[in-house]
Amino acid sequence: MKPDIKILVLDKEEIIFKSIQKALNNDAAFYDITYCTNAFDGLKNIRSDKFDLVLIDIVLPGMNAMEAIRRIKNIDSTVPVVVMSGSSLSGIDFQDEILNSAAGFLLKPFTTEEIKSLILRVLKTNIAAE
Amino acid sequence: MKILDKLKYISISTRISILLGIIILLTMGVFSTFSLLKQKDDAISSINNNTGQLSHTIEKILRFSMLKNRRDEISLALNNIIGNEGIKSARILNHEGVIKYSSRQSELNKNVSQNMPLCSSCHDINHNMFNIERNNFNHFSIDEKNKIIYNSLPIYNAAECNSGGCHYSSDKLSAGTDSIFSSVHNPSQTILGFIEIEVSIKEVIYDLETTRTQLILLTVLFAFLASVITYFSIRYLVGKPVKSLVEGTKRVAQGDFKTDIPPGKAELGILAESFNKMQNQLFRTQTQLIESEKLASVGKLANEIANEINNPLTGIIIFSESLLENSNSNNSKNDYDTIRQEALKIRESVRNVLSITRHEKPDFKLIDVAPVIKQAVSVVKKFSNFRNIKIILGIAEPLPVIPADAALIEQMLLNFLLISSESMLTGGILEISASYKEEINEIEIYFHDTGKGIPESALRNINDEKSDIRNFEKTGISLVVCKDIIGMHQGRLNINSTETGTSITIAFPV
Repeated sequence: MKPDIKILVLDKEEIIFKSIQKALNNDAAFYDITYCTNAFDGLKNIRSDKFDLVLIDIVLPGMNAMEAIRRIKNIDSTVPVVVMSGSSLSGIDFQDEILNSAAGFLLKPFTTEEIKSLILRVLKTNIAAE
Repeated sequence: MKILDKLKYISISTRISILLGIIILLTMGVFSTFSLLKQKDDAISSINNNTGQLSHTIEKILRFSMLKNRRDEISLALNNIIGNEGIKSARILNHEGVIKYSSRQSELNKNVSQNMPLCSSCHDINHNMFNIERNNFNHFSIDEKNKIIYNSLPIYNAAECNSGGCHYSSDKLSAGTDSIFSSVHNPSQTILGFIEIEVSIKEVIYDLETTRTQLILLTVLFAFLASVITYFSIRYLVGKPVKSLVEGTKRVAQGDFKTDIPPGKAELGILAESFNKMQNQLFRTQTQLIESEKLASVGKLANEIANEINNPLTGIIIFSESLLENSNSNNSKNDYDTIRQEALKIRESVRNVLSITRHEKPDFKLIDVAPVIKQAVSVVKKFSNFRNIKIILGIAEPLPVIPADAALIEQMLLNFLLISSESMLTGGILEISASYKEEINEIEIYFHDTGKGIPESALRNINDEKSDIRNFEKTGISLVVCKDIIGMHQGRLNINSTETGTSITIAFPV
């Protein structure tokens, strides 16, 4: 049985979830993608499940992104968090704190290739770290 | 307090004039007082001298008559003396104070020794003498109220007075003594009596008072004139310039930096100049801030729109890619690819727009200017001005990083690019290059266009630190803003503009 890679997507736009799902559909690994539209639901999910990757949008209803990342790390310190943004140009647009806690950045819109290589890179790094 | 508030508004000119007036009044008042007092003293001394001499003369004249005891002559003489030179009366007292002769008949034989200052200058209350050495003394006393000076000249006893007979004494004659004549005066008496003269000083006092009144009037007039002249002078030299300065500051407070204040004289002239320069500087700063502000608000708007575009765009890209991957027919593949390509173009455009400044204060970081240049170029490429312009971009990468604010650098580049395009409205070639000059450790950014040049009026004063940009037209102001940005980065700017093209060189130290 192929191992599930559990991914949590936190974004208020459903199309992002659908796109990620579509992009990863054809991939070798089997991805189990959970989708939440706000921070509280996301945290609930993290508490109840173990995820391999969290993709969180910088603009999330209910909570400041930095606060959300902090809380996620509190619950599960090992899960890599990738920050998504639709209005930034590059890493320097993010605050230093976020730069330090995030495992990677995903600028929207992204191509299939971009998201696949990002996820691959982050998971590989994480496995190496473990 | 209303009065205090009103006092605040008394102008400088008024205050100084009033102060000057008061100072003059005080000093001249003090001076005049001393002067008048001295004058009076001098006048009285002079009168005393004259009176003293006069009484000496009278004594000498009457001596013979006294020796011969010609009493009627003495009385006559005394009567004749009065009326001249202000002599009001003349009399002769004996040592005890009895009036023996007088021009006033009514006081004959009266004793005036009570309370006389004359007596007390040598005798105490008990008639004892305390002043022994009194030769040639002449006594004066002044009655201020009645304006009279009293002069008392002692008649000294002499040999001829007490040895020469005043009249034939038949007693002695019959007694057969040596001295046939007996004398009236006792040889032991030093002072036989006094000649007293009353002199009126009414005229003198009148003259002094007239002088005093004149002096007071003159002082007041002078103080007033001086004040008035000072008032108008200060108003002209200080008051007016200060007023225009005050109005100038009020205008600046309301945001008007464009109206110069008129030039003034001396220090205030310098102040006026500085003030105008300050207005110019404020305008420059304000312009640059406004430009940044404008770009910042555009940037904010762009940010908001970007999110609205980027999320759906993600869907379009990913799904068209998926369709592309899963499709078998070539036609469909092409179609899906077309969708994908167009979506990617949108992504590029949005990213370019987002590159417009979003930072609010200069934020210096170590940056590579290459992407900033590329960004700026890709932004302007879309402008209509650039439709007929061929851009040749040559950046010698990798470039070393420099401390800079990317937003400001981009703002500067955009300004230069736009100015350049304005000189080539019918088309042309724009060369942009950037390289690292190792010898001088600088990054050099070079623009060259084939346009008709930057207008002279815009170029004229950008090299002048002190230039007043408030009346420049847009190009001039843009250039100054660029120059300010370059200055902030310790860079250099060189512009060479001719009718056939313009070269702009910007250098930043690494």
